[in-house]
Amino acid sequence: MKILFANHIHIARQSIASSRMRSTLTMLGITIGVASITTILALSAGASKIVVDQVDSLGGNIAVIRPGANSDNTLDGIAKIPIGQQYAASSLSDVDIASIERIEHVKAVAPLMILGGSVSGVTEGSAHTPILATTPNLEQISDIEVSDGQFLDPELNGATAVIGPQLSIDIFGTDQSIGKTIKVKGQPFTIIGILKRTNNPINYNTVDFDNAVLINLANGRELNQGASQIQQINVQSESVEYLGGVITEINKTLLKNHFNQADFTVLSGDEIAQPTSGLFTALAGVSVAIAAISLVVGGVGIMNIMLVSVAERTREIGIRKALGATNSDIISQFLIESLALSIGGGITGYIFGYILAFAISTFLTFDPVFNWEIAGTALIVSLVIGTLFGLYPAIRAAKKDPIAALRQYD
Amino acid sequence: MSDTKTPPVIVLKQLKKRFGIGDAEHYALDGINLTIQKGEFIAIMGPSGCGKTTLLNVLGLLDSHIEGEYELDGKSIAYLSAKRQARIRSQQIGFVFQSFNLVSRLNVIDNVALPLIYKGMTKLARQKKASTMLRSFHLGEREFYMPNQLSGGQMQRVAIARALVNDPAIILADEPTGNLDSRASHIIMQELSDLHKQGNTIIMVTHNPDLTTYASRVITMLDGQIDTDTFRLPLQSRTSTKKPLNIVKKPKASTTKKKDKK
Ligand SMILES: Nc1ncnc2c1ncn2[C@@H]1O[C@H](COP(=O)(O)OP(=O)(O)O)[C@@H](O)[C@H]1O
Ligand SMILES: [Mg+2]
Repeated sequence: MKILFANHIHIARQSIASSRMRSTLTMLGITIGVASITTILALSAGASKIVVDQVDSLGGNIAVIRPGANSDNTLDGIAKIPIGQQYAASSLSDVDIASIERIEHVKAVAPLMILGGSVSGVTEGSAHTPILATTPNLEQISDIEVSDGQFLDPELNGATAVIGPQLSIDIFGTDQSIGKTIKVKGQPFTIIGILKRTNNPINYNTVDFDNAVLINLANGRELNQGASQIQQINVQSESVEYLGGVITEINKTLLKNHFNQADFTVLSGDEIAQPTSGLFTALAGVSVAIAAISLVVGGVGIMNIMLVSVAERTREIGIRKALGATNSDIISQFLIESLALSIGGGITGYIFGYILAFAISTFLTFDPVFNWEIAGTALIVSLVIGTLFGLYPAIRAAKKDPIAALRQYD
Repeated sequence: MSDTKTPPVIVLKQLKKRFGIGDAEHYALDGINLTIQKGEFIAIMGPSGCGKTTLLNVLGLLDSHIEGEYELDGKSIAYLSAKRQARIRSQQIGFVFQSFNLVSRLNVIDNVALPLIYKGMTKLARQKKASTMLRSFHLGEREFYMPNQLSGGQMQRVAIARALVNDPAIILADEPTGNLDSRASHIIMQELSDLHKQGNTIIMVTHNPDLTTYASRVITMLDGQIDTDTFRLPLQSRTSTKKPLNIVKKPKASTTKKKDKK
């Protein structure tokens, strides 16, 4: 059996080599499919990793509450993209914040209200500028620092704002913009602080602080017709040991507040990273669709080429049968050939996928991650495609009548 | 040669093979009764289209859609699974086809080694065996040629080498010398005769009456039936025994009836 297997591989190599052009074109579909899967998996693993590392570096005593029911389904993650959430009605309320603050061993609570709208200074800011209404506690809970001026303080008179360094440069042409007036949704705010550059658009707050404008929660409410629209509540426990108890308590309290409706999710540790990379999951969804299409196209290509190959080698099949090949010998011969095509395409795709991922990551703040799950996925996908689309031609080959096959002229 | 002690290798009873259905129905083999003992060297002659190739295909288990009885080594083939039949082809039968039937994309040595794959031999052993086989056919220096780089005669010798490489007990040869000149033909026949002397059963179709001198039995066919069936002593045996030609079976077949070819 082992000998036969080795021989089939040898035959497959020969026949693929003998029509290299044809084989390469056939593999292309699989290559593209596997490459896009690999790219997106490598990048989203990288994105997740960065958030996990952040959470860890903050001491691991952070829990995050987000609106919406919990789900382990990654497809749900796609639906929960943060951009979409900005405009959706949130189930989290000011009452929730107040009751969480009262829980024992809670050190700090920071609500995040992310608004959409225009921002302008000397010039107009990007339409995608995040407007984050929050409380001073955010500075403590997140790894953001002020480089110039001070952080938010609701006690100060007038409408004040803290802005990201990149936003400052974009709309004022300088990162020295303290005291200047920024218009947020048409309302003027005095800038009292500039954040330190983080170069970290991906973080568990789902806000790119370098480009954001931070205002007090009360002002945020005013800009939002007086209503709170809380996308996230960050909770810090006094220490890691208390976090579990705090989370249990939060769940209890919020359930009571929400009349036993679990329309919120409390996340900690690695879980925080998952919805954060929701944007990536969304992108992944698109890429997976592209990948699926190219894989099916690639699979059909393999099936087509294998059918051609079976037809071309009808006489050879007859000879092999006459010389003692069983039907399963013939099936494995052709199946291994189609597997060689799909795995060849898969390996090339895996390599190209990482090349692409590294190329893309030069524009991003994180690197692709290598792990065996990605390699395994690429391999399994190739195996499945090769088997699925190679089986029918292989069975056709085995079913050929040796006499008719031998009578055929080639 | 053909001792009555051992059971016959092949027994055919009222064997029929039909091609087509309805109006196109046609019996390529039309009631063949034949008993072949181990160690016989049979030459089959007959006009083109009389069913010689079809008979060899049936004997070689390439075609089991038959009517009548075919017993191989005392067992009816009707009860053999496809897998078992393939195993028998692999281990007991050697085919030499009417056309060379070499696999065009494999080189000479790989073609010869082909039957050994299905016997489960390692690559090294296969190459060694095939190489030895090729040398005995004076094709040693052609091992790595592709079939299309060989002359017709060489191709047929490769095909014969391939048929013999798995030491088959039964050799089925369909006009093995059809493409060879007479000198080369006699080399091949000498080879077949040696195998015959080692106890192999050989069934060979030929159009060349001269070559029947190597055979121990000559059968002529006509319209899917056996026309004459003549037992004789093969060339080699004739020198070693003093027995005269013993002619049996059909009384009318006291001589080998010659049919004109094509
Ligand atoms: N696969 C087939 N389908 C239909 N008819 C066939 C097939 N094989 C052989 N025949 C017919 O059976 C007859 C015997 O053919 P064959 O055995 O090749 O003759 P021979 O080898 O004696 O020249 C011929 O009439 C041929 O046309
Ligand atoms: Mg013929």
